[in-house]
Amino acid sequence: MFYKETGQFKSRYKDELAAFPLFEDKIGIGILCVLTFLVIPMFGLPGLNYEFAMGAIMIPCMVFIIMTLGLNILLGFAGQISLGTGAFSGVGAYAFYKFITIFPDINIIIALVLSGLVSAVVGVIFGLPSLKIKGFYLIVATLAAQFFLTWAFIRVAWLYNYNASGAIEGPNKEMFGIIMIGPQSAGMTRYYFVLVTLIVLTWLASNVIRGRIGRSWMMIRDMDIAAELIGIRPLVAKLSAFAFSSFYIGIAGALMVFFWLGAAEAESFDINHSFLYLFMVIIGGLGSITGSYMGAIFVWVVPVLIKEIGKSVFGFDAFVMENFSTILLGAMIIIILILEPHGLARLWQITKQKLRLWPFPY
Amino acid sequence: MNEKAPKIMMEVKNINLRFGGVVAIQGVSFDIHEGEIRAIIGPNGAGKSSMLNVINGFYHPQEGEIWFDGQKRPSMEPYEVAKTGIARTFQNIALFKGMTTIENVMTGRQLQMNKNIFWQMLRYGPAIEEEVQHRKRCEEIIDFLEINHIRKTPVGSLPYGLQKRVELARALAMEPNLLLLDEPMAGMNVEEKQDMSRFIVEVNEEFGTTIALIEHDMAVVMDLADRVVVLDYGKLLADGTPKEVQSNQAVIDAYLGVPH
Repeated sequence: MFYKETGQFKSRYKDELAAFPLFEDKIGIGILCVLTFLVIPMFGLPGLNYEFAMGAIMIPCMVFIIMTLGLNILLGFAGQISLGTGAFSGVGAYAFYKFITIFPDINIIIALVLSGLVSAVVGVIFGLPSLKIKGFYLIVATLAAQFFLTWAFIRVAWLYNYNASGAIEGPNKEMFGIIMIGPQSAGMTRYYFVLVTLIVLTWLASNVIRGRIGRSWMMIRDMDIAAELIGIRPLVAKLSAFAFSSFYIGIAGALMVFFWLGAAEAESFDINHSFLYLFMVIIGGLGSITGSYMGAIFVWVVPVLIKEIGKSVFGFDAFVMENFSTILLGAMIIIILILEPHGLARLWQITKQKLRLWPFPY
Repeated sequence: MNEKAPKIMMEVKNINLRFGGVVAIQGVSFDIHEGEIRAIIGPNGAGKSSMLNVINGFYHPQEGEIWFDGQKRPSMEPYEVAKTGIARTFQNIALFKGMTTIENVMTGRQLQMNKNIFWQMLRYGPAIEEEVQHRKRCEEIIDFLEINHIRKTPVGSLPYGLQKRVELARALAMEPNLLLLDEPMAGMNVEEKQDMSRFIVEVNEEFGTTIALIEHDMAVVMDLADRVVVLDYGKLLADGTPKEVQSNQAVIDAYLGVPH
């Protein structure tokens, strides 16, 4: 990097344990905050239609980052692989829908936290097999969750209030006098709500990961026998990872439906989405918060941009571009994974390491 | 140790451990005195590591009793044993490879930390105070074992000798009453062995930690240990001071072989 830790001495452990011990990092985060809080809502993204930039790039990106964070906690930090992400996000979304329809006066934040908790409980239940099985067999067990839950989303009519379309749809709902969700809500309010949620959740996740509980997850991931010997109960560590991860995924699911799509059916929570989230985690980098950001942004934004460029610059029709972008994304994923199996986060780390010495690498 | 009657910290009585038809340990009994360095030796496959696994709670012997601190210990899981103050290092290093040295050492403090998830999420107040307080203790241990320079290096990239030392640091961070070392000097060169021996003696003398170690290097064992247990084919062959064991004919036969 063009800056280093040289000369920045910490005289207290507390300072050293801070999230961003380096002064320059703090400036970087400050700039990012200004960008996301002021510049982007005012001007949108360069070269893109404002509505498109907010609705198809910024909001979904942030939702997917939360999703990826959730899955990364489970897969990257606790080492428990899951293909039920899509279904757990669905649990969050349906729970949120039930909460706001059963209690119309409920505060949105409370409903969001509650739906995350519901998802956490479901995650723990389907995480129980992880106590006995590992690796590929655990994938199969979580697949059962995926299929069972998507089945339930279609068959259990109570979940979508017996409406004819079978979809869940956000009613207009206010919080503190501002319409937050539903057809009449402004894109801007939804953007800010998702942004703040993302920041809060990232902060909480990074705290937990650096503390006792996060370490217990990593212990289980790296060497479960030694972890047990140090006094970690595998039951507690694994299930708490499932709970925490599903909490995030549930909140992301609720945000996805009510703050981005507006309405959704069971297809939004199917296995393809589980794979998509898995790609985001793997490409971003397992066990890294920065990686979750990079992976989600990369996997979501690249195809969207390819489609846009193809349509506006080269004049291909949308259908061709749709397929082309899928092919291109697939190729890029393969290339990245061959170049750096540990994902974009590691690539970023290596770049930083090289920049430390640049331009005199010897 | 020999003048006054030593306090017995741990005693295994008549342990029998079988895996199906294979008898791993057969009627072995010995004790570990408080504050001593106790060596367990024997040829390969003698059941030494299995014995440690029994003490740790990984294996549950079919017969036999384990007495710890004057009480008979019920059948326990490894994490419960850890709570009673028994720490251990492994023959083939079992560090958390994805974590740095300081993080690995901090994992040894897990049991002493108890702030709940909400404080952890905020990382404020009690949670951060706890973190700092344990970090200090870990830094002391890191100082003690002279691994300051690799504090922030991921352990996966460290050389073998240092990894062994980090593992010892992690076990020490638990502040155990009884420390089990499974071949702490395997695969080390002479200099590393000397360092490790020095650390083991210092741990024993400064912290007063009782140590039970498995080792194949006889010179090291005879120098370090107060008393030695010899196992062979799962049976107890000899038990006594290094001198007694060295002159025991059965032990010599087991190590050198006897003409049939």
